[in-house]
Amino acid sequence: MSTVAVRMRGISKHFGGVKALDNVDFEVFAGEVHALLGGNGAGKSTILKVLNGVHVPTAGTIEVAGVPLTTHTPAASRAAGIAMNYQEMSLIPTLTVAQNVFLTRETLSGGLINDKEAERKASELFRMLEVDIDPASIVGDLGAGQKQLTEIVKAISHDARVLVLDEPSTALAVSDVNRLFTFLRKLKSQGVAIIYVSHRMDEIARIADRATILRDGKNVTTAHIADLPIGTMIEHIVGKRSLGLADVERKDVIRGDIALELRNVCGRDKPQDISLTIHKGEVVGLAGLLGSGRTSLAKLIAGIEPITSGEIRINDRPVNIRRPSDAIAAGVALVPEARATEGIIPAHSVADNATLAVLDDLSNAGFVDANKLRQTTDAQIKRLSIKTASRNHAVSTLSGGNQQKVVIGKWLATDPDVFVLDEPTAGIDIGSKSEIIQMVRDLAASGKAILMISSELSELLTACDRIIVMADGRVYDDIPHADLEDPAEVNSNAAHRLQVAEQRLQIAIQEALTAGQEVSNGQR
Amino acid sequence: MVNADTNPKLKALNAFLTNWRQNIIYIGFIAIFVIFALTLNDRGFLNLNNLLNIVRQTTMIAVMAVAMTFVLSAGEIDLSVGAVAGLASVTVAMAISVAGPFGGIIAGLATGIAIGVFNGWLTTKIGIPSFLTTLAMMGIAKGIAMWVSDTSAVPILSQGYAWWFGGGSIGHVPVLLFWMLIFGAIGHVVLRRTSFGRRVLATGGGEQAASYSGINTARIKFRVLVLSSTAAAIAGMLYAGRLQSGRFQLGEGDELSVIAAAVLGGTSLFGGKGTVIGTIVGALMIGLINNGLILMGLEFSQQLIARGGIIILAVALSQKRS
Repeated sequence: MSTVAVRMRGISKHFGGVKALDNVDFEVFAGEVHALLGGNGAGKSTILKVLNGVHVPTAGTIEVAGVPLTTHTPAASRAAGIAMNYQEMSLIPTLTVAQNVFLTRETLSGGLINDKEAERKASELFRMLEVDIDPASIVGDLGAGQKQLTEIVKAISHDARVLVLDEPSTALAVSDVNRLFTFLRKLKSQGVAIIYVSHRMDEIARIADRATILRDGKNVTTAHIADLPIGTMIEHIVGKRSLGLADVERKDVIRGDIALELRNVCGRDKPQDISLTIHKGEVVGLAGLLGSGRTSLAKLIAGIEPITSGEIRINDRPVNIRRPSDAIAAGVALVPEARATEGIIPAHSVADNATLAVLDDLSNAGFVDANKLRQTTDAQIKRLSIKTASRNHAVSTLSGGNQQKVVIGKWLATDPDVFVLDEPTAGIDIGSKSEIIQMVRDLAASGKAILMISSELSELLTACDRIIVMADGRVYDDIPHADLEDPAEVNSNAAHRLQVAEQRLQIAIQEALTAGQEVSNGQR
Repeated sequence: MVNADTNPKLKALNAFLTNWRQNIIYIGFIAIFVIFALTLNDRGFLNLNNLLNIVRQTTMIAVMAVAMTFVLSAGEIDLSVGAVAGLASVTVAMAISVAGPFGGIIAGLATGIAIGVFNGWLTTKIGIPSFLTTLAMMGIAKGIAMWVSDTSAVPILSQGYAWWFGGGSIGHVPVLLFWMLIFGAIGHVVLRRTSFGRRVLATGGGEQAASYSGINTARIKFRVLVLSSTAAAIAGMLYAGRLQSGRFQLGEGDELSVIAAAVLGGTSLFGGKGTVIGTIVGALMIGLINNGLILMGLEFSQQLIARGGIIILAVALSQKRS
């Protein structure tokens, strides 16, 4: 139990001036499941990328089973016995399960590939895992859970000494998670060290032996799981974070009429049976973990994914949204999660991007009026203070924050009643973040109804008047901002109040998760 | 249907019919063959000579299409094959006149390999998409062929070369049939049963995932482009042998028939999916359609329209609908 499988000492990793990791010690024993915890930007993925050779550390040493790792490349790490699942990144959708598992290590007989033998070997592995996947089926036809399990089987079939699992249960049904855990325990008993990254604290309590918590690129604590009740874990994760969001003004807004109402709305898979209302002038947050159905809900409202049942009402009138143009006509605007592919056309100019949604309004008999185009663009540049060399510069030359402003400007031009923002500050530096959040507040103050998705709880708490908690495709809680504040702490400083509220919201999300799993258990 | 579970032959037939879209090329080939046999018999469609003629006209397309299956499976494309075939026919003919048949064969192969290396280098090292690289190469190869041959046919006087490369026959059976069978068999085994073939399919099926799995995807792309040009040069050498001369016009426009043969056979234009046997049948089907339409007495203009329509129909039927 006490043989050290991985010993990372004094690891630092700097990106330009940013210290992603700052002198971190991290040790994992052979035959243990070691949970790695931390909020967004705490340094979890950076330390894993240092371990598997994607990043070269700025300082520090790595030993795998006592042998120092001198070269930092993915191949060197793999040769040292470190296997990582890449969240469906290493599967070829057009090949079969068995072909994927043994890709680059094909079973040969007489110099030729023997797929039958590979399928037999794969089915042996799957039997061990007690998973019902046909090794001969094409990966592209599998469900998300089966893909994930295939991925893990592929990773461990390399005789891995250390297995890194980054949020492996996100796409899995409860029964699949149980199978995964059974399998991980089997691996553990064979002396494999497992590094397990997850945001689901209940899972960590079930599977992990020890946990390491990172915050702001530092190791806050490494402890046995028995010494870390969920409350303590959350306290360590949230910590006294330096807050760049505290300067956002939170004026009380005047709640107007209901702008958006959902009645028992269902999507094809997720979300299920969503009912909610958002008033004019209100910012409502959607909290929940990856896979909780937040993005799917946003896509339903924006007409990107079809509604299978239920009703969407805007300004108290039922609307039939079947495609994005219906949603735009009804007054809905979506600022999507994947900015580079769904939000902007990077090579096109600021003007072309900002006017893309209103081209018809700017055109006479099919010809775009260059004057109107300039005016509309300049109005948005001024209103949102977009920093660009000119309206004719490609959007790709702008910073992330300013690119996002162009997306918001594009939708402001359509004069929507409802704004849906999916992770609006992803990949944006902290200064621009508070600017975007301030913009969200200002939009609400001007009478828009806003639904905002974010994985950064401090951001949700800063921006929102009300927070809806989702898990497993359903709404579990609807908490007014005031209820997350501790009345005893009203007089303490803003940063501390935010910290307390964040801990409460964390607990609400974890509770929703447990409740969600009970519901899906009951259905099975 | 109860038997379908127990009798392996019935089970296979059952799977074949339920996956009819995937197998549309084979069903279509048989259907068209039967239709032509019934309607065109009095015009000599079923004559052994006519059927062997289809083989003679199809082999060069089939040879290039086998290699194209690898290129498409890797997610690339090669538009230069027709022009490379024309150039190789010229270089082989010119080299035979100075260095004899063996010198000719070496010159022809060298032409293909050199162009393939250049295509591959531009695509993988400089980063120009293969669509553009090979589109440009199409013009360059044709230009060189016209220039060195002074736009006239270069005769081949070696009877031995002409027999082996396209002109000869054993009894009734043309040598070209063996070229097609050998290319098809080797191509099938390499794509399905070797690690190189598996890497080709993986590269086209998901380039990022393939490189995460430790595959050098640039090297794979380089190799399939060299393979394609080399096969095109061999096709050009077969043209030259069959017509006992090298001409820059040989192979002109073949790239479209070659790509159509592969796609008809079930190879995806987007990579990751390819079948050499399907490609061979696709090439034969194009030859079959050409032959039938000529026997029907259609004018060339009508042939073009009918051929286009049949190809669209076949590919449309093979599309999976969600």
